[in-house]
Amino acid sequence: MKFTFLLTLLFAGIAMQAQVSPSQLSDDSTRSIELREIQVNTTARNDRQRMLQFYRGNLSAGIEDIMTRLPEISLIRRGTYGMEPAIRSLSGGQINVLLDGMRIHGACTDKMDPATIYIEPVNLDEVQLQTGTQGFLYGASIGGTVNLKTATATCHNTGKISGSISSGFQSAAKSFYESAQLRYSSGKMAVLSTATWRNSEVYRSGGGQKIPFSQYQKVNYSTAFSYQLNDRTLLKADYIGDHGWNIGYPALPMDVGYAVARIGSVSLVKEQPGNRLYQWTTKLYANQIRHYMDDTHRPNVPMHMDMPGRSLTWGMYTEGQVKLNNQQQLQLIADFSSTRLKASMTMYENGQPPMYMLTWPDNRKDQAGIGASWKWRADSNWTFQSVIRLDYISTALTSQEAKDHISILGVNDAGRQEVLKNISVTANRKMAGWLQGHLSIAYAGRMPTATELYGFYLFNAQDGYDYLGNPSLKPEQSLHGEFRLQAQGKKARVSTTVFYHHIRNYISGTIDPSFSTMTIGAHGVKKFSALSYAELSGVEVSLLLEPLAALDIVSTLRYTQGKDNTGDPLPMIAPLKNINTVRYQFRYFFIQGETETAAAQNKVSHKYGEDPTPGYFLLHLRSGFPFHLMGKKTDLQYGVENLLDKNYHEHLDWGNVKRPGRNVYLMLKWFF
Amino acid sequence: MKKSLYLLVSIALLCVIVFLSACSKDKTEKNPTAGLTKITEGYVVGAAAKAEIYTKETALTTGYTKLYIALYDSITGKRLDDAHIHLYPEMDMGTMKHSAPFENPASTDAVDQLFPCSVTFIMSSMGGNWTLKLDVHNHANDKEGSLILPLTVAEPALSRQKSFTAAHNGAKYFISLVNPTAAYSKVGINDMEIVIYKKASMMSWPADSSLSVILTPEMPTMGHGSPNNVNPVHIGSGHYKGKVNFTMTGLWRLNLDFMSGTAVADTTQSFDVQF
Repeated sequence: MKFTFLLTLLFAGIAMQAQVSPSQLSDDSTRSIELREIQVNTTARNDRQRMLQFYRGNLSAGIEDIMTRLPEISLIRRGTYGMEPAIRSLSGGQINVLLDGMRIHGACTDKMDPATIYIEPVNLDEVQLQTGTQGFLYGASIGGTVNLKTATATCHNTGKISGSISSGFQSAAKSFYESAQLRYSSGKMAVLSTATWRNSEVYRSGGGQKIPFSQYQKVNYSTAFSYQLNDRTLLKADYIGDHGWNIGYPALPMDVGYAVARIGSVSLVKEQPGNRLYQWTTKLYANQIRHYMDDTHRPNVPMHMDMPGRSLTWGMYTEGQVKLNNQQQLQLIADFSSTRLKASMTMYENGQPPMYMLTWPDNRKDQAGIGASWKWRADSNWTFQSVIRLDYISTALTSQEAKDHISILGVNDAGRQEVLKNISVTANRKMAGWLQGHLSIAYAGRMPTATELYGFYLFNAQDGYDYLGNPSLKPEQSLHGEFRLQAQGKKARVSTTVFYHHIRNYISGTIDPSFSTMTIGAHGVKKFSALSYAELSGVEVSLLLEPLAALDIVSTLRYTQGKDNTGDPLPMIAPLKNINTVRYQFRYFFIQGETETAAAQNKVSHKYGEDPTPGYFLLHLRSGFPFHLMGKKTDLQYGVENLLDKNYHEHLDWGNVKRPGRNVYLMLKWFF
Repeated sequence: MKKSLYLLVSIALLCVIVFLSACSKDKTEKNPTAGLTKITEGYVVGAAAKAEIYTKETALTTGYTKLYIALYDSITGKRLDDAHIHLYPEMDMGTMKHSAPFENPASTDAVDQLFPCSVTFIMSSMGGNWTLKLDVHNHANDKEGSLILPLTVAEPALSRQKSFTAAHNGAKYFISLVNPTAAYSKVGINDMEIVIYKKASMMSWPADSSLSVILTPEMPTMGHGSPNNVNPVHIGSGHYKGKVNFTMTGLWRLNLDFMSGTAVADTTQSFDVQF
């Protein structure tokens, strides 16, 4: 009984009680000890976390592999690298993708660089996902928030250096993965450094065909520094650097020659600064991304072009957890950020001067918001939560050149000021000892993105149209709700969620025949405009079973459908998909089988240039065991992905580029 | 009390601003020919005056050319601000002579100490010898005289001067691009201006106001155009003004169709602009 009740709280996001008995099904041991001691866990230790934890056990899995196991997340794929996450088919400006709460804006007009690429599993602490009804606490959004929390250097008085070295190989792309993690802690000071190198050649798809321009190389390094100012105050400084080069995008007409990200922050974490205020975090951050697209390796390029882009963001947030009394808890957040973007294109034709234009005319977005999440445990059966957030967002073009560009679209003043109000109400009810229900309703809005406001002839390789921004777009607004039933016994946990979004002013490209295409070979020009509404609905089922102590079964199923105001299907909606995983642990040795099944997607958006995608069935086998090497613990994992060598692509894969075929991998992790 | 203090401070501030701006105005004694190039000069015999001819470009090229005439008293060297000037451009091709479209200074009063006028050179000096005759009535001494200046007109890299024989009436029209010029073009909205003259005879080239113009810009290398252009419309004296939008730098072709009412006059003309 008590267990059930606790789960209710856990699910809702924050555990208030210290005596939480550890779950029988999964361990959440990555959370630091300190946090447990002060009885707070800001993370939802819900089924999502359990699943993420489960799939993180696979050492060869990248961030994208881990995320895509969640039924709520699908990935839009333009290349092997840099897949763009979507929460319940909402993506881009509709969701927040945060890195330790920091906002990062990609510097690529073609979205080749979602913020998720800057984190490697070796410096990831956890993936936090909140769907549309609560995810806007960290920023006005209609689809929710993915927050990638990086690992923190924790202070222990050991004075020793410890860490791990990982090395891996994957056969499909002949790719190598090398990473190292180094920890040092002495008294009040702690350092955690990581470095990762990845080198991947073009991969072969099912059936053995090589996919050209699917290679990539990258180096990622991070340092997290912590200093214990006093018993309750921790000063942290974090830095992440990421350099990628020769990154192929088979579904796009260009690759990435070079991309570099520099991400830094300083934060102050206070534990129990007051009687009721039991955690208070303040972070100041800045990040810069530079991105250079490259077409020099492509054959039959009608005209060589350079497309550099850059983004610069700085901001801060302060977040506090307040325990009002034994029944009520408040989470408060205030944040500010400012993002500057610029991207240009220069085309070269022999005997002519270069042709230059701004594709993201210099622009700035300033955003300031305050949010609150109030939780009330009314009695032993009912828990309520309300999340509200207020944002002031101002966007502007910042150079005369940029204003001159946008003036062509018939706009005199492209600056925008908006106040966005987001609110949600959630009720949780324990219906029986083993069953609980959860109902959430939200009204949320989101600001149009820089691309949607100011994009200047941005070519979309998926539908073959040049896109023009529309500075007068209204914010997208969504009324949405989700209902979940969750049942659990000692050895099983099942949850079913249905959700529905009614989105007003749904932003979409509509063909404007009065414009002529800029890109050679484009079908026409689309201007971002607001459809009166669009609808999204779906269902997610997850099942966690532990029939035997050594046997874990995780199964997820999701289905989403969307349609616009004319009844046509929305683009980029993944079909019915089911993933089943069975893991058997025999002493130290484990073996894991996975099936991945997707139905065909025939509800396609012809307006967006989509075609139906056939279904597929995949089988993955994994295994591993620890042993001692030079007296140190070592994990060896190996397996075969896509064992049947299925030649397939997912519906969200641009250009119907086939995914990797049979892939044998080997992964070694040596701890010291 | 507080309000009146505010008012007082505001007034004081305003006074300071006015005073400062007045000061700065006095200080700048502008050179009227700054930024212009002197093409030629000569004495206007009979009018006791010296004339200097300036343009915004570094040399004369074919097409509509704005000229700025500076007049001085030939003895004292003092600027003359009040004179009546009349232009007579002439091309001597050996076997024949012809004039060219021109615009006399609009007023006898100088604008910023210069007399703006224009000549549309319809061909370069390759075809013969250009001269510009000035008839000057010096209002300072009430004397009249004239001056003939030889001019060298080059063909620019991108032609600003075209002509066509209209399909609807068989008349010959000369069109010239005034704006945009390469130096003043930008990505964005640009002022577009052309002049249209009709050849009535070898010596008579009146401004035309009868045609309507359809502008279609394109990038020949890329094969695309640009949105939201405004067709040039007649604003007086053969000048047609509109807007042309450039979506990127590079070579742009401004395709022009000329209509007389609903009848097509010509659809073959274009000007190239490169920036």
